[in-house]
Amino acid sequence: MLSDAKTRSIIIQGMLVTAVIAFAALLVSTTFANLKARGIPIGFDFLTMPSRIIISEAILTYKSRDPYFWAIVVGLANTVFISALVIFFSSVLGLVVGITRLSSNPLAAGTCRVWVEIARNSPPIVLLIFLYSLWWKVLPPVGEALNPLPGVYASMRGFVVPAISIDIGMTGALIILFALTLAALGYGLARSGRLPPLVVPAILAAGVVGLWLADIRFAVDFPVFTGSNFRGGSELTPELSTILVGLTIYTTGFVAEIVRGGVLSVGRGQWDAGHSLGLSRGKILRLVVIPQMLRVIVPPLNSQYINVVKNSTLAIAVGYPDFLAVMNTIISKSSHSIEGVFIILGAYLALNLTLSSAANWYNRRIAIVER
Amino acid sequence: MAMSLPMSSEATPGHFRFIGLRRLAKLLFGTPLNAALTLLFGALLVVTVPPMLRWLVIDAVLFDPDPNACRAATGACWSFIYAKSGQLLFGIYPFDERWRPAIVCLLILALLGWSVRPASWTSRLLALWVAAFALIFWLMGGGFGLAEVPTSSWGGLPVTLILTVVAIGIAFPVGILLALARRSTLPAVRVGAVVLIESVRGLPLLSILFVASIMMPLFLPEALLPDKFVRALVALTIFAAAYLAEVIRGGLQAIPNGQYEAAAALGLPFWHTQRLVILPQAIRVVIPALANTIIVMIKNTSLVLVIGLFDLISSGKAALADPEWPSPAAETFLFIGAIFFALSFSFARFADFLERRGPAAH
Repeated sequence: MLSDAKTRSIIIQGMLVTAVIAFAALLVSTTFANLKARGIPIGFDFLTMPSRIIISEAILTYKSRDPYFWAIVVGLANTVFISALVIFFSSVLGLVVGITRLSSNPLAAGTCRVWVEIARNSPPIVLLIFLYSLWWKVLPPVGEALNPLPGVYASMRGFVVPAISIDIGMTGALIILFALTLAALGYGLARSGRLPPLVVPAILAAGVVGLWLADIRFAVDFPVFTGSNFRGGSELTPELSTILVGLTIYTTGFVAEIVRGGVLSVGRGQWDAGHSLGLSRGKILRLVVIPQMLRVIVPPLNSQYINVVKNSTLAIAVGYPDFLAVMNTIISKSSHSIEGVFIILGAYLALNLTLSSAANWYNRRIAIVER
Repeated sequence: MAMSLPMSSEATPGHFRFIGLRRLAKLLFGTPLNAALTLLFGALLVVTVPPMLRWLVIDAVLFDPDPNACRAATGACWSFIYAKSGQLLFGIYPFDERWRPAIVCLLILALLGWSVRPASWTSRLLALWVAAFALIFWLMGGGFGLAEVPTSSWGGLPVTLILTVVAIGIAFPVGILLALARRSTLPAVRVGAVVLIESVRGLPLLSILFVASIMMPLFLPEALLPDKFVRALVALTIFAAAYLAEVIRGGLQAIPNGQYEAAAALGLPFWHTQRLVILPQAIRVVIPALANTIIVMIKNTSLVLVIGLFDLISSGKAALADPEWPSPAAETFLFIGAIFFALSFSFARFADFLERRGPAAH
């Protein structure tokens, strides 16, 4: 009977499923027993209770009497904020560094190679802790703040940059979420093309009205140095600045290697072919080289971007409250560890799935259409 | 990511070779773009390198055992690293027993050095590693004539090395099993592997370490609960296994069906087919990607500090707490970073060597 492939497959699978169920049952029963022994209730109703935890800095407005779920949203916003900035800056810098590494100029190529090797071979957490320890050593006191770019100051107390203030309250954020859902719905329906023409603009208009109702105050405010302090602008604490700078240095190394590989993957023959068709250099770059390069670099870039989201958890090493740090505080404060773990798992999976589905969508758009 | 793409036939950048001065001048200033790049990077180096050198070497205190020399100096305080090297490398391991972790570190590094020679890749090597690790755990933990040292007192470089080597060593076979399971024709096996691999890959390692260190005591009965060191090791192993599984699956996909058919025609059973025909070819295809995953794992070991294991970074932080010294944090973390850099950079060069050797070699 065992030599029959079908019976054997049923037996193997049956054993596996039984083992998984037995292990899960063991986990669940011990967990419940442990929680009962410690008198910890299970359920998500704690989310609406006032959290009374302290979040040292946040992109959204947060007060310690806000409920737990808002603290979670605030932590998530911090993570999304760090990730988005690091992804943006490391993409731009990585493009420059990757192309410079291919330069025939040994000085330029060598310097960029040193950057790439350091970034690729040091643990990001050591890089962050090292940079954080440098902060007070290298940068001048506020009075002598460096001013590398107009409107950007760097000193012991962190960076000061032009502030783009987006003032959103809790209700505002909910309305924006609703409006975005509507807009996405409208876009999806419009593409499916099964709709009377007026419905799409109506939904989009509802989205715009929603955004207007959300009462977002949007302003750009340049910092002015007053001799002892800064007026206006937004101050990035040393913690936040360290994470942004450190993760950008780290990720740039990887993006540069991907870009370099992408450029090398497009053969010289493609340029020659473009020239023989009478295309200008700019047109060859835009129509021939870049489309082929994108095909090579989009999938690995996507996994780097997901890595940025995951690496943003290292913020904990310098004491910046990212999502994981906030969740950690919430779990130790509320003792709702099981629920906390599920929220952590759900949030990171959702973030990473969003990123990769966006990349996959883009990848499909630029993929070779084979007929 | 190591790129296995053909390099252009022009001068490969970044490789310093002996070239004539005239050639160098042409490379640096030959075209307007190159001249501009030279000026830009030259200015950058002139601004940054001299102050760095002054701090690192010229104004630095090298061996002076007096902490006050560091307070007076404007440069780096290397004498701190020198004076505290024992604590930095071995953490809170009992002072009189430090020779044990020292031997362990040398043993692991020597074995790693021995293992990179293709000539030593035999089944004996595996037996050697297993024997070495029995010795290592005896030296670290004690018993049988040595004073017992609980894992909570282990620290520094040996912790980093043991975690890295053991996690990767166990994760590799587990990753192969997971990759095979994901390509299995049995739906329950396949679904199980997909769920495990994808959820581990979707999560930051730090969150998995948190679950292992803080949550596991809730999930498991007291009797089954391993200590903190083993829990971190399990978390690292699962994490590495999921990533290695995906790399190996890529290699499995590259094997044409004819190989399976040929093995079936020879009458080989499933495990023989995998072990003798499929896996040797599949793994050889993905050596560069495997090497990258392993480098990531070497670097990832540094995260265990967040859950309170005494790895290199934690022992650095502990050494810095000494009030006698002026707390030279930058120097300490530079030293620790250099150790990690040396480990992963040499592994990267080893991977380059494997890649150049090509898939034809056995």
